[in-house]
Amino acid sequence: MKQKNTSFIIIALFLAGAFMPLILKQYHLNMLTEIIIFALFAVSYNLLLGYAGLLSFGHAMFFGLGAFMTAVAIIHIPGLALWNAILIGVVTTIIAGFVIGSLLLRHKGAYFALLTLAFNALFYAVATKWHSVTGGDDGLSITRPDLSLGFTSISMASLTHFYYLTLIIVGAAIVFCWYFTHTAMGKTVLLMRENEERMKFLGYNTNISRLLLFTFTGAVAGLAGSFYTLHFQFVSISAISVDMTTAVLLMAFVGGTKTFWGPILGAFVYIILQNYLSNITDRWPLFMGFIFVSMVLFIPGGLSEVIMNIRQRLFGKKDNNGGKSAASEEV
Amino acid sequence: MNEIPVFFLHGLAYAGLLFLVSAGLTLVFGMMNVLNFAHAAMYMLGAYFSYSIMMHFTGQFWLSLMVCPAILFIIGALIERFLLRRVHKFGHVQELLLTFGLAYIITELVKWYWGNYPLAVNIGGFLGSTIQIIGITYPVYRIFIFLCAIFVGTVMALILYKTRLGIILRAAVNDSEMTNTLGVNVPLVFMGVFAFGAALSGFAGVIAGPLLSTFPGMAQEILLDAFVVIVVGGFGSLGGAVVASLLIGQLQSFGVLLFPKLSIALVYLLMAVVLIIKPSGLFGEEQ
Repeated sequence: MKQKNTSFIIIALFLAGAFMPLILKQYHLNMLTEIIIFALFAVSYNLLLGYAGLLSFGHAMFFGLGAFMTAVAIIHIPGLALWNAILIGVVTTIIAGFVIGSLLLRHKGAYFALLTLAFNALFYAVATKWHSVTGGDDGLSITRPDLSLGFTSISMASLTHFYYLTLIIVGAAIVFCWYFTHTAMGKTVLLMRENEERMKFLGYNTNISRLLLFTFTGAVAGLAGSFYTLHFQFVSISAISVDMTTAVLLMAFVGGTKTFWGPILGAFVYIILQNYLSNITDRWPLFMGFIFVSMVLFIPGGLSEVIMNIRQRLFGKKDNNGGKSAASEEV
Repeated sequence: MNEIPVFFLHGLAYAGLLFLVSAGLTLVFGMMNVLNFAHAAMYMLGAYFSYSIMMHFTGQFWLSLMVCPAILFIIGALIERFLLRRVHKFGHVQELLLTFGLAYIITELVKWYWGNYPLAVNIGGFLGSTIQIIGITYPVYRIFIFLCAIFVGTVMALILYKTRLGIILRAAVNDSEMTNTLGVNVPLVFMGVFAFGAALSGFAGVIAGPLLSTFPGMAQEILLDAFVVIVVGGFGSLGGAVVASLLIGQLQSFGVLLFPKLSIALVYLLMAVVLIIKPSGLFGEEQ
């Protein structure tokens, strides 16, 4: 696609993000930080669902693992640098992703979905029972360590500072995921979904590609989880629960799994709806459920499909792959 | 020391319940290739309907055991006809997402209508009493659950392998187009299968009410155990479901006795071992 155009949009988004602390109130800035973190989580989920066609009901185990490892590391290792806390979270999820992936990826479709759900439940059970480490139902409270840059150290106590850190690191991770979809590896994944037999015939080892992708998305989810802990300065077992998987599934699907940016939009809509609907009614999950099911039934492409259609009507832009399934425009 | 027979019987009772839940799940999966995430949510609906019926018509357990599966049968038929069939052409991922979304909605509706707290169902009469068996006093109700499971399992096996309906079902699974051409209304058959699965889940829900309490988390709790049963027994295999239910029932029961802290993990451990040794499950066909 038009690479230049996209780079321009990315830079514009970063610049807009950089000005946000000047415009937004503390409450909204808080929400925006949350949105960026969940956008990364949803993007990583969509690499599995939209790009590889793997429906996982266990993505929260990586998110939660990253979140808990960061919290546990900060609590038990005094004077731990912020970078290392994040690194510990990510490295653990890489290992977990590799082990779990090699166990589960032999299965496909419904089997895979079911097994990921079961593994998520196992992680949840361990987190609930292992009270001495995870705090069980009480969760863990932490204080954000300061960010040391070698020559100077920046206090992370203020939300604005942490927002900038999130914008830069998490934003960069999202851009990296976008870059990943354009690499040879990213395209292998996409083609594998379309015709695995042919890819095998062409000499690609599809099992290894899938395992690498699974590990990669797990690590990215772990990074998001790590920032989730740092953002709320708290982590509870809800971070590793099946509800968290449901949340990310809703974000990715409502936003649209057929485009790269759909899940980002989905995270935005989800967090905002959650914040405003939960003020109006306790039943907001029910509304989300109805939105989700009606989307599955009527608009499988999510919000991004709606937007693409409107754009096509307004500007008459012909997307040469418009009707085709998921993310094929990226090829 | 009569702990061991007690826990053995506990295990049998839970195995019976597990079989009732997973039989419907594995039936629908084996026949229609749809993994129904809403199955446990329908089981929960059955339990709640039963609670309401027994509140209105004090203690009419047998009535709710008849009525609830019938209601769930209708709900299942409607879901298949108007929702599942629509997304079938989009493929498996959409079907899974749909049933997952339905489970989510049903859980929220239950929380809304009945409240987010446990409701106790008391069962009176003979079923609520105890009986002397192999030298110990044991609740009749738990034995009743196990007998129900045997009954349902036998009926299902008889229908599948001894009747004309069973032949049609197996033919429709093997080659639905050919069966359709031979004059069988295959979409109707699939609707019936799904509705029957839903009715079974409702039946299991009614049975579960007095044993476990009725609460919004009960769906997820049993869903995971039922999934493990299906994985261990082999996808879509009724015989596998029987063996795996018995295995997991005992594992849960003695797990609590022997390793109280690890009891949850034991079940998943068994699943992981089966997955490594025989990925298709104990009685599953090779994929």
